[in-house]
Amino acid sequence: MKKIVKHINIALVLIFLCQLLPTKRDAESSLPLLIFVLILYGYYLMQLRFNKNKTRIRTTKDVITILYYILTLWELATSKLDIIDKVLYPTPSVIIKLLIQELPEFFKGFISSFQILLIGYIFALIIAVPLALLIGWKERLYNAISPYTKVLGPIPPIVYVPYIVAIMPTFRTASIFVIFVGVFWPVFTLTLHGIFNIDKKIIDSAKVLNVSEKTMLLEIIFPAILPSIIRGSSMGLSSSFGILTAAEMIGARSGLGFYVKYFSDFLDYPKVIVGIIYIGIAVTGATLLFKKVEDRLLRWRV
Amino acid sequence: MNKIMVDNLKFSYNNHEENKYVLKDINISILKGEFVSIIGSSGCGKTTLLNLLAGIIFPLEGSITIDGEPVVGTGSNRGVVFQHYSLFPWMNVKQNIVFGIKQVERTRGKDYIEKLAEKYLELVGLKYCCSMYPKHMSNGMQQRVAIARAFAMNPEILLLDEPFSALDVKNRVILQDLLLQLWESENAKKTIVLVTHDIDEAIFLSDRIIVLSERGRIEKDFKIDFNRPRNRKELMRSQKCFELRNDLVSILDNSNSLGI
Repeated sequence: MKKIVKHINIALVLIFLCQLLPTKRDAESSLPLLIFVLILYGYYLMQLRFNKNKTRIRTTKDVITILYYILTLWELATSKLDIIDKVLYPTPSVIIKLLIQELPEFFKGFISSFQILLIGYIFALIIAVPLALLIGWKERLYNAISPYTKVLGPIPPIVYVPYIVAIMPTFRTASIFVIFVGVFWPVFTLTLHGIFNIDKKIIDSAKVLNVSEKTMLLEIIFPAILPSIIRGSSMGLSSSFGILTAAEMIGARSGLGFYVKYFSDFLDYPKVIVGIIYIGIAVTGATLLFKKVEDRLLRWRV
Repeated sequence: MNKIMVDNLKFSYNNHEENKYVLKDINISILKGEFVSIIGSSGCGKTTLLNLLAGIIFPLEGSITIDGEPVVGTGSNRGVVFQHYSLFPWMNVKQNIVFGIKQVERTRGKDYIEKLAEKYLELVGLKYCCSMYPKHMSNGMQQRVAIARAFAMNPEILLLDEPFSALDVKNRVILQDLLLQLWESENAKKTIVLVTHDIDEAIFLSDRIIVLSERGRIEKDFKIDFNRPRNRKELMRSQKCFELRNDLVSILDNSNSLGI
């Protein structure tokens, strides 16, 4: 008996009980919500059946339970009791339906945004890392450059956006350039920081092996500061995505930021919400992918 | 024939402050193929002396010559094993050794270098650890790899900076034996300079023990003439060893009280 009276089951039943109330917003079926809720429950049952990790199962259960309660409140406030504004707050079913319907648009926007992001990002990495290695290694160069980096580095890249959009021929090149600036500084400064904090014992161990200067830079210092470089890159990734979506709201004709801005201009708030959720998914996906790459590159640290 | 000559060496980390010399009036000559231990309490400058020999730092006055050539930096004729951290954490065991060999055998092919690395890993009993990262190994295993790399690079001189002091007693004994075994197995014996604060280790391993005082001077130079190959148990039980140890302890004690 106790096995059935779990929090997740209570939450599930609550959602279905809600459906006994009459719908105040006509022409909106609650079917998508119910299907979504059942799919989540199915996923939970699968975990229960096939996953051996008890903590994982419990976490899945707790996460879904919380989501169930949020959906219940949301459903009650909009579709069932209609106590908040119709235009500004769509029902969960509308959003869930749109999330599926708008998938092609999402992919188009995603590809457009990530193309720009990736090009700017890779450019920034290829230029920032070798430059920082060189400048960090040559003291005179560092002393000459550091006043510039001190002033230019902390400028929030977003403030460049209006000006860069104005001077660049296309929006695309402008965005790429803004991403470049946004990624360049964290990678550059953290790489430099890494070089200054490198363990002297590592340098000595390499010195006594009589390595050449080129080997020292490429095969000792570079891998030794790779953790710093990766930290800078991951900071750059999340901040640059923010800059990009912001930039897309200003001048783009495509991309995820454009999607949100475009529909908010038409007061189509369900699509705005869907766009926001999409951006959340895209950023999470990119971060997870990045973490995988990081774990692979730094497997010697674990 | 003298391999290493240290002549009137003075060293200080802050230039020319008379009373801040880390090392002063050091004169040492080390024969080719000789195993010399430098012993002294911590802070006496023995590691500094080793780093000078390695060419990581340079004397303030005086000179160090190897085969008559002054030391102007690190060189492939010297291999060094530190107490910690001789291995690069991002390379696995084999890559660490291969990297070392590559620095001396710049013209050899990949196959030759890998075979050589495997051979030395086998000699130290770690062939099964080829693809392990240093972080996943005990201190003892890491030092084995460091020793394997030093021998694989085949330098004429081996500089060892307290290589066994972070190990437990059992591992220390095993690695000391391994070191002697590797050293004695070669036809052209390497010249070894070992820095240690372990008196028994110095007696068991060396042909000569140089005692540094706390003020960074040479206190005494002992000849250790036990026959090789040495038997640890017999040697440690002998009267000669007992007397030697007593001498060393009293000298170290003395130099301590003078230093304060």
